[in-house]
Amino acid sequence: MSRHKISFSVNGERHELEVEANRTLLQLLREDLEMTGTKRACERGDCGLCTVLMDGEPVKSCLVLAVEVDGREVTTIEGLAKGEKLTRLQRAFIEHGAVQCGFCTPAFIVAGEALLKRNPHPSEDEVKEAVGGILCRCTGYRQIIDAILDAAKGRE
Amino acid sequence: MPLPEFSYFRPKTIEGLVSLLAGHGADAKILAGGTDLFVLMRDRLVRPKCVIDIKGIEELRELSWDKGRGLMIGAAVTLNELIGSEIVEQRFGALWKAASVLADPTIRNRATLVGNICNASPAADTAPALLVLDGGVEVVGARGERTIPIRDFFVGVKRTTLERGEFVRGVRIPNPPEGAKSDYLKWGRTRGEDLAVVGVAALAADSGKKFVRVALSSVAPTPLLISEVEDIFRGEGSIEERIEKAASVVVQRISPISDVRASREYRLHMAGVLTRRVLRQLLGVS
Ligand SMILES: Cc1cc2nc3c(=O)[nH]c(=O)nc-3n(C[C@H](O)[C@H](O)[C@H](O)COP(=O)(O)OP(=O)(O)OC[C@H]3O[C@@H](n4cnc5c(N)ncnc54)[C@H](O)[C@@H]3O)c2cc1C
Repeated sequence: MSRHKISFSVNGERHELEVEANRTLLQLLREDLEMTGTKRACERGDCGLCTVLMDGEPVKSCLVLAVEVDGREVTTIEGLAKGEKLTRLQRAFIEHGAVQCGFCTPAFIVAGEALLKRNPHPSEDEVKEAVGGILCRCTGYRQIIDAILDAAKGRE
Repeated sequence: MPLPEFSYFRPKTIEGLVSLLAGHGADAKILAGGTDLFVLMRDRLVRPKCVIDIKGIEELRELSWDKGRGLMIGAAVTLNELIGSEIVEQRFGALWKAASVLADPTIRNRATLVGNICNASPAADTAPALLVLDGGVEVVGARGERTIPIRDFFVGVKRTTLERGEFVRGVRIPNPPEGAKSDYLKWGRTRGEDLAVVGVAALAADSGKKFVRVALSSVAPTPLLISEVEDIFRGEGSIEERIEKAASVVVQRISPISDVRASREYRLHMAGVLTRRVLRQLLGVS
């Protein structure tokens, strides 16, 4: 198996390390960098819980190789708040009770932030479409959608 | 479970890719978006010793349109890039729609059109669209280049006419006849992120004579162009009659299976319903 030197940034911090070819971006984040905010569940692209941003675009990190992030910028749930200061979307999740067991929350927030950046005033259908690849086993979708719509309203 | 072990290569040129494929033969797999490949590898259904990432080859990122030559979609173009193209939306409606309903927007940031057809699932959403739009698959191998018409590309479940050492450079789609319209209807259990129970693409043009094509996914071992439909619309009869005839030929020609998504009977029924629906819509029959 081949090994590769990679250089990339996570939430603005640069990292250089060596990875084996079969390592996924998800393993790189959780195991090598010990950033466990990004969740591991189905590992086959179905549940979307491992969603992170790669150069600003959401990807399912279980289906991305670690070597593929060489030269790229990764954003995870850990990179959103500034110290104690939560983002507008994070606050909206709390206000709407959009968190039940919490396991899917990082993915929904990361995908929601990417949507609001691209489309600051999405319709409800656009919100549903954008987070359509993420599953909430508690089925709290209504609150999640409302939180994203509400965060959009607060953005002017 | 971790992915099985392999060596990773990222050539920068087509020549580099050709020689890697020639050197590693059956042990190599091409990586585009990885949304099929890594799932299959995790399940140990494929175990390549060598994975060749084509995303470093600039030439394969081509997405271009030309009045004469039509649309060219390189092998590294993602489905979201395709959906973002106005030309695709305006002139290649069935393809635009198929790409828009494939998986979900996060998968589509990685998944490619060419990966979808090379994976050759009977449910490949973009295949019926390419069949009605008469796409050509541009293939490169150690012995040179060739174009495989999309209707000769699929030969069985997960099997194509690509030969060992060959890869797909891109798909070229000729401009549809003037005034042509096309669409793809995907019938699924849920609206997002599920394979089709049945998918129907159709193209309709009218330049004096009616010209109609219909193709389906998830109803046979391969995506299927129903060539008899063209003859039906070249022939006699009212539009209503011809739509009815087309729907009944579709139901006769397909051979769906029962699986976790739907029964054979339901698929047969829905193939007829969707064929009528898409043809009525394209031919302006209420
Ligand atoms: C959660 C989820 C939902 C999905 N939903 C759908 C759906 O609704 N509809 C649907 O049709 N599909 C669906 N898929 C399947 C998959 O996303 C698509 O088939 C996608 O288009 C594959 O493209 P890719 O670039 O990721 O291919 P890859 O996984 O990179 O490659 C697929 C196969 O093609 C080969 N290959 C790739 N490029 C080339 C080339 N240039 N030349 C020769 N061989 C090549 C690879 O070696 C591999 O065998 C889904 C997948 C997931 C994980």
